[in-house]
Amino acid sequence: MRYPPALVINLDHNATTPLHPSVRDALVEVLQRPGLGNPSSTHGLGRSCREVVEAARRALAGALDAIPLGVTFTSGGTEADNLALLGGSAALQTAGKPHGVATSRTEHPAVVSAAEALAARGTPVVWIPVAADGSISPDSVARVVKEHPEIGLVSVAAANHELGNIHPVAAIAAAVRETREGVLVHTDAVQAFGKVPVRFAEWGVDLLSVSAHKIYGPTGIGALIHHTHLKLGPRSFGGSQERGRRVGTENWMGAHGFGVAASLVDEGLAQIEALAVHRDALAAAVTAAGGRIHGMPMLANTLNFGFDSAPGELMCMNLDLEGIAASTGSACSAGSLEPSKVLLGLGMPPQRAAEAVRVSMGRFTTAADVAAFAGMLPTLVERVRKAHQRASS
Amino acid sequence: MRVVCAMSGGVDSSATASLLLDAGHEVIGMTMRLYDASADEQKGRGGTCCSPAEVDLARRVCAQIGIPHYVVDERERFQRDVIDPFARDYAAGLTPNPCTRCNQHIKFQPLLQRAAAIGAEAMATGHYARNLYGQSLLRGVDPRKDQSYFLFSMGRDALQQVWFPLGTWNKDDVRKYAEAKGLPNWGAPDSQELCFVPGGNHGDVVQRRAREMGLSDAALQPGSVVDTDGNVVGDHDGIHRVTVGQRRGFRTKTPERRYVLKVVPESRQVVVGDVSDTQTARIEVGELQRLELAERGSVQCTVQVRHKSKPAAAEVSWDGHKAVVEFAEPIRSASPGQAAVFYGEDDLVLGGGWITKVEDRANGPLEAQA
Repeated sequence: MRYPPALVINLDHNATTPLHPSVRDALVEVLQRPGLGNPSSTHGLGRSCREVVEAARRALAGALDAIPLGVTFTSGGTEADNLALLGGSAALQTAGKPHGVATSRTEHPAVVSAAEALAARGTPVVWIPVAADGSISPDSVARVVKEHPEIGLVSVAAANHELGNIHPVAAIAAAVRETREGVLVHTDAVQAFGKVPVRFAEWGVDLLSVSAHKIYGPTGIGALIHHTHLKLGPRSFGGSQERGRRVGTENWMGAHGFGVAASLVDEGLAQIEALAVHRDALAAAVTAAGGRIHGMPMLANTLNFGFDSAPGELMCMNLDLEGIAASTGSACSAGSLEPSKVLLGLGMPPQRAAEAVRVSMGRFTTAADVAAFAGMLPTLVERVRKAHQRASS
Repeated sequence: MRVVCAMSGGVDSSATASLLLDAGHEVIGMTMRLYDASADEQKGRGGTCCSPAEVDLARRVCAQIGIPHYVVDERERFQRDVIDPFARDYAAGLTPNPCTRCNQHIKFQPLLQRAAAIGAEAMATGHYARNLYGQSLLRGVDPRKDQSYFLFSMGRDALQQVWFPLGTWNKDDVRKYAEAKGLPNWGAPDSQELCFVPGGNHGDVVQRRAREMGLSDAALQPGSVVDTDGNVVGDHDGIHRVTVGQRRGFRTKTPERRYVLKVVPESRQVVVGDVSDTQTARIEVGELQRLELAERGSVQCTVQVRHKSKPAAAEVSWDGHKAVVEFAEPIRSASPGQAAVFYGEDDLVLGGGWITKVEDRANGPLEAQA
């Protein structure tokens, strides 16, 4: 058998989204444009290419209620998150301010691991409590900031990548400000972007991460949105691109694709409620088959569930072999199907967490895709349970 | 046929997957994640079997040859069934055999269970050993690579479902095949050390884990090295840093070659002697796997007490899961905790077990502390 099978039903859009046809066309067009060079060069070739990058910056800023000067392109969401935490904390430390970091165990590994790396080198790190349903209240964040004067940066995702919980980022930012001035608020909006309106200025955050390949753009490009004056400790050394915040020759092809994808986000948001109908149908199918729903499925496209005695790992392998792409959690965990750290972070016992399956739909998901999945669910659960029971007996 | 290929990221299992594909099977690669990146590995000292870097390599190979690949998390089981007993044994003055323990507890059952759960009818590994009709285990034909010593413990059930396609191959030919197929790891060096001890210093790993497990620190303290008459001839940094039969891990005042004969955990003494002292003519074996053997009996065969040691002629008598091995000539470097594997005619593995007692050594019989 060759892999992947010819027909794949993609129910793993939170890992990556397919390239939007308009983005693909725009990328082909820009690659065929004559006279583009290195955007950092001073000559004409460089200037034409620079304009491609700047147009993309304007498009992205426009889609995020930010200003272009506050957009720093990175290689993706992970680098943006890393830059926010490591660069943000370093800049605070240089300025002689509290530079500890508060975040939660349910964040994406790009945030959790960055916080752990900071902790390993002696930076204070405090874990914000998360409720069993995955929610984070502004009060609990404010309490952490109040009780820990060493905290200088708070990071809470706009939407959880595994559960689909939406966090009240604007209220969290306000609560933090009210508690103590000068504390930076970062939000990882990688999963929220394209699924709910993401508003940098309106939310009142200081740092915000996004990634192109979660909004039907190309992989290899993301951005950190920030106040124009905000200083970040450097994470890379060499040139002075991106105003010194992220040096190295700009990925202008990626930026172009990102800009076009960002300009299509509003169009996608207008159709997002159709996905909520599919999600609710899936949730009903899961419940009818005796499964349980994890977290609070607030994003229209995401549903996380589990069936007793049916390991998510075996569920996903069987689904894959049937041509259906689903996941047990973040694809960033070395590609392995291990118990979700997010669910463990909610205090779920490891055995239950290992039963999690995440389905995430996208713009091109059809009612037929969802019906195919829902239809095979009971048989699949039965098969996996039997195999698992044989194994453990 | 749908076949799961257990892939470590090395050239052998990669070639195995490719060979199965050549034979027309529907191949699914599976790799176990057994432990997290060690500090050494993060420093770039390279990984060994089943490290995160090797897991990634296995995924690359599968993508290249066009088969699905799944990584399964067995870190807990590996810790419990391999690393912890390893630490416990060393701290008790024994010589553990983690690779065979891994084959007994980790390599087969967890993957066979998953293979069954995804409708696979067989599982293959890249071991150099032969499996005859799912009934008998034989040495691999490449004498330098034969891994049957590590496999005696896999059990009959697993033998019925596992294929060893490389059992009839020479390693050189496997490399040539992998190169011709363009597999990225065809030239990678063979791993020589324990996968969870990159760099080869097991003492630090034992010490760290023994402390985490709350084992008594007493046995891990420095102590004295004595000769067979009880005279102090040197010192050592902890009994967990020495291995019976080896010349490393301790210091002596005199230049002659001394071998570890015995470790006495209670007094933290390491007994050393010269080469003739390391010989033994009789060992006892427990946890016997009787692959080709009846409930009780005796047989003339050859016995191997280390992966690379020469098979020695012996008479083995057994009853249930206990056996006594009488060697025709005294042999070197048999240690409690190591595996003893019995071979019959034509490379056939008759059975094997774990050495519990080694006799005719300085200071009387050495007994395993179980």
